Amino acid sequence: MATHMAEPAVGDTDAAAGHLQAEDQIHLLRAMLLMRGLEERAMSLYRQGKVPGSFYDGFGQEAVSAGAAFAMAPRDRLCILHRDLAAHIIRGVPPARILAQYLGRATGVTGGRDGNVHFGDRHLGCVGMVSMLPDMMLVATGMAMAFKLRGEKRCALTWFGDGSTSRGDFHEAMNWAGVQKLPVVFVLENNQYAYSTPVAKQFAVDPVERAAAYGFAGVTVDGNDVEAMFEATLAARSRAVAGEGPTLIEAVTMRMHGHAAHDDMKYVPSALVEEWRTRDPIDRQEARLTSQRVDMAPVRAAVAAEIDAATEEALAAPMPDPATVLDGVFCEGEAEVLGDGIASWSGFARGGEGGAQ
Amino acid sequence: MSEMTYLQAISAGLRDELRADARVLVMGEDVGVFGGAFKVTDGFVDEFGVDRVMDTPLAESAIIGCAVGAAVVGLRPVCEMQFSDFISCGFDQLVNVAGKMHYRQGLAVPIVVRLPSGGGFSGGPFHSQNPEAWFMHSPGIKVVAPATAEDAKGLLCAAIHDPNPVCFMEHKNLYRRVRGEVPDGVYETPFSARVAQPGSDLVVIAYGAMVHVALEAVADLDGASVEVLDLRSLVPLDEEAILDSVARCSKVVVLDEANQMCAAGAQVAALIAERGFEFLDGPVVRVASPDVPIPFSPPLEQAVLPGVERVKEACRELLAY
Amino acid sequence: MSSSPTETAFDVTMPQMGVSVAEGTVVQWRLAVGDRVAANETVCEISTDKIDTEVPAPVSGVLTEVLVAVGETVPVGTVLARIGGDAGSAAAPVPAAPTTEGPAPDPPATEAPAPDPPATEAPAPPQNGRNGATRAGRYSPVVSRIAAEHGIDLSQVTGTGRDGRVRKQDVLAVVNGDAAADPPLHIESPYRPEPAAPAAGALAGSEAAPPAGEGLSRMRRQIGEHMKRSLDTAATCTTWIEVDMSRVERARAPLGLTALAFVARACVATLRQQPALNAWLEGDRYVRHDEVHLGIAVSLGDDGLIVPVVHGAQELSEEGLGARIKDLARRARARELSPDDVRGGTFTITNPGQYGSIMATPIINQPQVAILDLEAVVKRPVVVVDADGNDAIAIRPMTILGLSWDHRALDGVQAAQFLAAVKRHLEGLPAA
Repeated sequence: MATHMAEPAVGDTDAAAGHLQAEDQIHLLRAMLLMRGLEERAMSLYRQGKVPGSFYDGFGQEAVSAGAAFAMAPRDRLCILHRDLAAHIIRGVPPARILAQYLGRATGVTGGRDGNVHFGDRHLGCVGMVSMLPDMMLVATGMAMAFKLRGEKRCALTWFGDGSTSRGDFHEAMNWAGVQKLPVVFVLENNQYAYSTPVAKQFAVDPVERAAAYGFAGVTVDGNDVEAMFEATLAARSRAVAGEGPTLIEAVTMRMHGHAAHDDMKYVPSALVEEWRTRDPIDRQEARLTSQRVDMAPVRAAVAAEIDAATEEALAAPMPDPATVLDGVFCEGEAEVLGDGIASWSGFARGGEGGAQ
Repeated sequence: MSEMTYLQAISAGLRDELRADARVLVMGEDVGVFGGAFKVTDGFVDEFGVDRVMDTPLAESAIIGCAVGAAVVGLRPVCEMQFSDFISCGFDQLVNVAGKMHYRQGLAVPIVVRLPSGGGFSGGPFHSQNPEAWFMHSPGIKVVAPATAEDAKGLLCAAIHDPNPVCFMEHKNLYRRVRGEVPDGVYETPFSARVAQPGSDLVVIAYGAMVHVALEAVADLDGASVEVLDLRSLVPLDEEAILDSVARCSKVVVLDEANQMCAAGAQVAALIAERGFEFLDGPVVRVASPDVPIPFSPPLEQAVLPGVERVKEACRELLAY
Repeated sequence: MSSSPTETAFDVTMPQMGVSVAEGTVVQWRLAVGDRVAANETVCEISTDKIDTEVPAPVSGVLTEVLVAVGETVPVGTVLARIGGDAGSAAAPVPAAPTTEGPAPDPPATEAPAPDPPATEAPAPPQNGRNGATRAGRYSPVVSRIAAEHGIDLSQVTGTGRDGRVRKQDVLAVVNGDAAADPPLHIESPYRPEPAAPAAGALAGSEAAPPAGEGLSRMRRQIGEHMKRSLDTAATCTTWIEVDMSRVERARAPLGLTALAFVARACVATLRQQPALNAWLEGDRYVRHDEVHLGIAVSLGDDGLIVPVVHGAQELSEEGLGARIKDLARRARARELSPDDVRGGTFTITNPGQYGSIMATPIINQPQVAILDLEAVVKRPVVVVDADGNDAIAIRPMTILGLSWDHRALDGVQAAQFLAAVKRHLEGLPAA
């Protein structure tokens, strides 16, 4: 997965030096730990028969969403894919609300109207995905279009998978964003398989190379390095708000679980899985922090406690009232726009990178 | 008030909204410099600029999808499909993204999709369709279909003000054939039915261009008193107005230009069967296009589209029942 | 329609609207003497006992004479008017056609309009289809509701709708204390109605209703005259046969057809074997036909009836016959028949069985020599013989076919043979 644009590859820790302070590095680790822990808990609840429907997770891909979302300012807007739970966590969705979402409870983000990671908290600047992929590329493009028309220094970002690059909406969004030079970041989450279909059957040319054809930059990033993801996204965002147009970031990673809980993933060579297990994003961030003499034990303990409490709260939450099932098909009052999200990167607090927007 | 065509009324509605609300923008293929395939936005770019009268790439899915994105961050996009037929290419964004957004996450999507629809001029299978029923079947999308110049403007303004996705079915065959007095400035026509002509022996329920076919057909039905109900809005469907007409007239012809299967008229007929049963004095009769693609050659097309004679025959048969 | 030049004038004559039509009545003059007229423009409207139509001008010119007054009945071929004047603009005159025998001349190019149907009250005949079953005792929701609300016995309410159906206004008339409208006269076949039956319905405000004490409508009168002329002309006998319709009933359902289509097919097939019945007798001139042009009596409600013709019926299957009959009936009710549609019949079927009547003596449609009457198919106990030769009583859908035939042309044995062959055909249909 070579980098074909002038942009240098950003994959090593040194390149990230200066943007991320220790608190940020720990925040990223915490977000990834929460994502993995919440998904493991949800999978456990699924196996207990408490989570309806299907169950999808992003095990092994935590860095892609955590790193990219961390680079987004409060007034930026996100369309989040189903293996990107860390983005919701970083934007500020409480863990209990996430588990309630899986459990189909009234207190979940969609109140039981949609399941698993098909949600976006509109109060936090996020639009929930739909299952038709990559439809949200166009929604993100439209948000970026509005930002540009209004002259705002804001950015839209969306994630989508390798399989999505085969669909027409990928082309329509890339083309439109390129033509109008919009402030949008496209994160291609290349996890090697679209359900059972390997990338070799998905495209003849690496999609990152296509960015040039649409007139903007494409970069390949180690998707299992959370800080590299952050740096690449931060750079893309800087270009976007500076009026330099979109960026396609190919985050190279691996789907370590099946497509969904019902998929045993027999079609993936076990050697490939084992190879990628050595590149686990959480292990790598922990190693990085350990080398900086950060004590990980309190972080892990806090995350575990938070998940236990969230589980308790979510399981105690009421199921939605069937009497409300017809409510909300149409908006009856004024149309509210998306609210702002939480942006914890210390750089925003320091007033840099659009944090004051 | 000024007298203008149906097309000019749509233009006037758009222009007044663009003037009144800075959030409104028009997006579509060839709508900017060229002024639109039917010249609805002719001259707009001079007054409002290329950003608010946006020439987009030839990408219907992108037009709808980008409009959704712009809407959820505060704009009020009005999308133009060059022909309503092409909405099939943007169907997914409209039905799955826009239509379900508010129900799933409480996020309103105030977009309008203008759909120049209908046949009658040898447009052939891809420039003549009436796809309104596709969206009636998709929760979360409103569907309106004006028949008069006044309603064309008023429904368009109301659609732009509405916080939901609205499909605005504008009938191409009415563009320059229908004229009428249109109020100045921004005003709203409610999403409800209107009695286009009162009567008591039979009611023809129609919308869009078929309202005019109905009015012509019932003008001389041997003295019978025939009502014409113009639905104006298909979602929401004005059920009370329909049932009120049925209660008074007891005989119903439901008229659609669309292909018959599962068309708007099918829903109207079902409603009457369910809630108007005790008022009926005859079978609910439907007149619609048979389930074929709309053919090109004039005699074939005329054989498909419901015309005055077919409506007359249906009315006569039912009156005699 | 024919014309012949008289010096510079062209004649407009009473057209022959079917082989058996002898005369016609002028209903309305569209033009007056001195009016300019273009070729093919309607000059006047006429009515015959087959059909009402318009008479177009054979040439362009000026109407110079009107020779027949409105309401006057004149023989076919009578000169009605003359067109003269600008001979240079005259279209080529249509050659005069013989009017006494053989096929009728070309019809006018215009469609034949029917008399104006009465406002909102034009009852159409029953369809000989699945919807044609008797509606006695079946009432629409609104009628049932109003009747229940006012304690009205609907069986006592006279219906003015199609097939005598009780309509909303009928039951409302009872509620409002109005005199119930008189029942309309429904004639489903050429046979004469019971003498006691009331004349054409006097519906309030109905243009077609004759005022009390006045004469019959034009069409009624013409039908009557035509029927009377037939009885006066032919030596009419009627022969009946009973037919087990089990196989027909089984075969027709999957095809969505009525029994009429099967009976028609059986008759056509038999007529091909026995052309003696597929014939015309005019005076002493007896003509047998190879092709079967099958007339089907269609009621026009109050207005009377008409007998459109399925031409070349021998080419058609049951489905084809069913479709053609349905189309002709629809067009008859819509007053859309052309003169061609009612011309040239060689044999007629009448089918008034919707009301449950079981036998009739139909009147022959002149100059044909036979007419078949199909009445209701009813379940009856009949003696059947099982495979072992044992007699048993079984319930079977039975009907009685009646054949009226002209003893001048035929004898009873031919009528009986014909009916027996039709019966074999119907009972021998392969099971569906």
